[in-house]
Amino acid sequence: MKDFWQAIKFFAHYFKRYKFGMFLVGFFIILSTYLQVKAPVYMGKAIQEMGNYIFLKLNPMTAATANLDKFHHALGMMLLFVVSTAGAMLIMGVLQSIISANSVNDMRTGLFAKLQRMTIRYFDEHQDGEILARFTSDLDNIFNAMNQAIFQLFSQIALMVGIIMMMFQQNVKMAWITIASTPLALLIAVVVVMQAKKYVDLQQKEVGHLNGYINEQINGERVIITNGLQSKSINQFVKHNEQVRSATYKGQVWSGILFPLMSGMSLINTAIVIFFGGSMALNGDLSRSAALGLIVMFMSFSQQYYQPITNITSTYNMLQLAVTGAHRLSEVFAQDDEISPANGQQLTGIKNEVTLEDVHFGYKQDKEILHGVSIDVQKGQMVALVGPTGSGKTTVMNLLNRFYDVTSGAVKFDGVDVREMDLQSLRDHVGIVLQDSVLFSGTVRDNIVFGKPDATDEEVTSAAQQANIHDFIMSLPDGYQTHVDDENSVFSTGQKQLLSIARTILTNPDLLILDEATSNVDTVTEAKIQKAMEAVISGRTSFVIAHRLKTILSADKIVVLKDGNVIEQGTHTELLSEQGFYANLYTSQMVFE
Amino acid sequence: MDLLKPYLVKYKRDIFITVLSVIVMSAAALYQPRLLQDVMKAITEDKMNQVNSIGVKLITVAALGLIAGVINSIFAAKVSQNIAADLREAQYRKIQTFSFADIEHFSVGNLVVRMTNDIQQVQTLVMSGLQALLRMPILFIGALIFAINTLPQLWWIIVIMVVTVVLITAFVFSKMGPLFGRIQSWIEKTNNLAKENLQGVRVVKSFNQEQNEKNRYNEASGELNKINIKIGYLFSVMSPLFMMVSQLAIAGSIWYVGTQVNEHPMWIASVSSFTNYLMQIMMAVIIGGMVMSFAARGMVSIKRIKEVIDAKPTMQYDAKAPEIELMGSVEFKDVSFHYPADEQDVLKHVSFKANAGEMIGIVGATGSGKTTLAQLIARLFDPTAGTVEIGGHDLKHVNEKSLRQTVSYVLQRATLFSGKISDNLRQGKLDANTKDMRHAANIAQAAEFVERYEDTYEHVVEERSANFSGGQKQRLSIARGVIANPKVLILDDSTSALDANSEKLVKEALERDLQHTTTFIIAEKISSVINADRILVLDEGKLVGEGSHAELLETSPVYREIYGTQKAQEVNS
Repeated sequence: MKDFWQAIKFFAHYFKRYKFGMFLVGFFIILSTYLQVKAPVYMGKAIQEMGNYIFLKLNPMTAATANLDKFHHALGMMLLFVVSTAGAMLIMGVLQSIISANSVNDMRTGLFAKLQRMTIRYFDEHQDGEILARFTSDLDNIFNAMNQAIFQLFSQIALMVGIIMMMFQQNVKMAWITIASTPLALLIAVVVVMQAKKYVDLQQKEVGHLNGYINEQINGERVIITNGLQSKSINQFVKHNEQVRSATYKGQVWSGILFPLMSGMSLINTAIVIFFGGSMALNGDLSRSAALGLIVMFMSFSQQYYQPITNITSTYNMLQLAVTGAHRLSEVFAQDDEISPANGQQLTGIKNEVTLEDVHFGYKQDKEILHGVSIDVQKGQMVALVGPTGSGKTTVMNLLNRFYDVTSGAVKFDGVDVREMDLQSLRDHVGIVLQDSVLFSGTVRDNIVFGKPDATDEEVTSAAQQANIHDFIMSLPDGYQTHVDDENSVFSTGQKQLLSIARTILTNPDLLILDEATSNVDTVTEAKIQKAMEAVISGRTSFVIAHRLKTILSADKIVVLKDGNVIEQGTHTELLSEQGFYANLYTSQMVFE
Repeated sequence: MDLLKPYLVKYKRDIFITVLSVIVMSAAALYQPRLLQDVMKAITEDKMNQVNSIGVKLITVAALGLIAGVINSIFAAKVSQNIAADLREAQYRKIQTFSFADIEHFSVGNLVVRMTNDIQQVQTLVMSGLQALLRMPILFIGALIFAINTLPQLWWIIVIMVVTVVLITAFVFSKMGPLFGRIQSWIEKTNNLAKENLQGVRVVKSFNQEQNEKNRYNEASGELNKINIKIGYLFSVMSPLFMMVSQLAIAGSIWYVGTQVNEHPMWIASVSSFTNYLMQIMMAVIIGGMVMSFAARGMVSIKRIKEVIDAKPTMQYDAKAPEIELMGSVEFKDVSFHYPADEQDVLKHVSFKANAGEMIGIVGATGSGKTTLAQLIARLFDPTAGTVEIGGHDLKHVNEKSLRQTVSYVLQRATLFSGKISDNLRQGKLDANTKDMRHAANIAQAAEFVERYEDTYEHVVEERSANFSGGQKQRLSIARGVIANPKVLILDDSTSALDANSEKLVKEALERDLQHTTTFIIAEKISSVINADRILVLDEGKLVGEGSHAELLETSPVYREIYGTQKAQEVNS
């Protein structure tokens, strides 16, 4: 229920932007309902007038006065109402599609904008696929529900109320007969929908297990083949498959049964209406022509009356999914944004040094990763961070451009705490090159000018040359205009890294954070990367998470981290003479990861 | 459709019941307006007893229709999920006969889709086929006959109505088709943008590109929105138009009857049943059209599943070959190979012989054919020319089980299955006990972290083995490879995520504990194979050097070059 109110609030928030449109939709829902329920009245009336005419005509006393004027009038009114109903429904439909599409577009762009504001913590704690599902399945479910269920819910309720009112206005007794079966119908609908939900959930669970199994097995098919595990895999599959077989049956029956049940009920109800209308006519309650008209009218009512019940119950599932979707989107919107201090100091460059002062930090409150780390780097120097996996190298990097905030201690640029700086100006002066390079869809040039969209062609070429990737780019048929994206690209892992180095060179950051890639690349690319790294590091204040011996040897200072503490720091020669952890690592072949 | 044929035969009894119930259902729906006509007639003729008996008939018919509808749903569900489950199993069994080449041909992701989505589509198709698709033609033809029978003079209204509905549908669908194609590509574009921004969130933030990325996304999202609105318009046009057409047809019928009422006063009893048939005809056309377009999607899935089921596995094992124990020697006789999709030879006239118990290193640049060579030893592919022999037997004539028992292949990408560590190790030896597992884990240097868990070998392996690091996965995968004490062991760059020390320990353990195993080690780094009995050097698919490390430094320029670059890298000073 809480989810439900949250969903209402969520949708209201978006619909609020289309107040006038929503008002018009409401107006046209009422109008079209009125027109729609009034049309059968004129149809009944037309039949009634035709009946009157026949009875007058058959009677020699009145035959002369019989005419069809009233019949034609009723028919004309019916025509008018039918055409107006279609018109009103059309306008309503157009308004609905505009509001639905625009609201979902607002949600989509709003969600994307929210992602751009959130802290890195959120992305580290949630899998990409999980976040992406908000863009795909959740927004899809909401859009489907808006198009097919949410507005329909209103118009169907209006239709039901309208029909009931109109029926009572026309003939109270017949109206009671028509709605008499409603409680039963509702009961059946609710029971069926509940059962269907229960078994479909069960079915989804089993199907989920099966699909998980299929996915894993086929992805590991090579292991299955090389170990000759095929028959074992099939046996396991058959077990899952049989479970799905029995679970699907009930789910399918209960969800498939609603429609025939409801249309069957509607048929029975119509039969009852005809039956009672007929006997009313012959028991003398009504004139025969009036009874004929009444039967036709109420038959039409009875058919229309059951539609909303069927429609609403059959969209229940869709609404449920939309409520879940709204809940999941609200969850994201409730996340913390990154904080940039109001009137924070503008960083203009590094004059003297960047320091970490007694930094304590943990990703989770109860688990500290860095226990009082102090490092300083002088302007223009390169610090190499080395240490085994889990020692806290990457964590240090995360603090430098404020992806995370320290628990205690401080990260300072020329004595100014990063938490007192304007966030954008901080990041303008800090560049990073990540271990796993990311390409964005667009041209090669787009990717290089990523951080500086107004760069000139000369700047781009020069950056690419320094990063040792210019020649490769020129060898592509479309050169810098070659289209790339992360999934499908002409660039190898090593070349992607060169491209991301070029990207960083172009923005000319004052402080560079570089996480050396460990991935195996062929020897030629390896040499290129080495050169590109030298180009980007030279003369720049930099922190490098180093894996290659050569990089470490060229550092001005080596900082050895272990279990969240700086255990040694100094130059290569100094550390070797200390005969400590570093010296040991160095002699055992310099491989850290 | 012939894919489904055997299954339709298999469930013919249930299908017969669904068909029967559909007929009863449709008959009930068709009979009702006729009874209505009788009631109207009885009223005009003032026959009370007739009204009562027709009334009872009306309710009975309606109740019959309801019961038939329920029966239809139950059996349609039964048939459709049985067919889906059978088909799924048949397809899975087929996939399990596939070789590496077949898997590559279809691609893993594609096979998964065929096993999941496509089967789901077929189930929906069968279900809706047995419900709506059967009912619509019966209703259409039935209603048409009854309508004409009721008021034959009004045939032209039926024709006009059906033609109009078909025209509207055709118009809307012709507009909709291209829009659906375009919307798909914009959906992909926006999703891709979201995805790459998630992957590159650190890059976007550190380059302060939030605003630019938002602009890019909003632009794509805006395009998507425009098409969504257009599609919305088309849908908004459709249902009011259909409603108007049907109501106009009704009004037209009543009007026409009004003009003829002097000559045919009894037509008044017929007009409302006629209009009821009109509605049924129209519903049949509209719903039929919708189900048909839906069915088209199902047919595509059927075709895709059929492709898998009809695929002939590219590799057949000799069914007559007896199960024998093979010796551990491996010999390549003038082997050339190219992948099925490619024309370029990946291996060119490779010949060598490895004696039982030898340790052979294979080195070469990326793309030189190392992995291909190793895959031929395990008969994951057959050579295009020449023969591969193990223990003196041509692999083409070796029993599959014997081959798998002899050769163990540890793949480049370590893959574990969710379950327990022991489940994964037992994949290498079905009846392995704790002692075997400990022994294998010791060789692979996995024991040190496995035995730190409280539940040791019963420790859980999560989905995508998310609870293990790359190095741990590789070590477990090596343990699985050695647990059965294979005659031939292939390690295809399987130690790439291990640190130098662990790698060294693994090598030492292999030499110590698997003395009688012929071991092939494929490596990027020469340091990984430096102690091998012999090293094979591959260059662009050709075997260009063979010998010990020291010998090759003398004789092979390619080897010298590789060693040179790596040496410079490692001991630079």
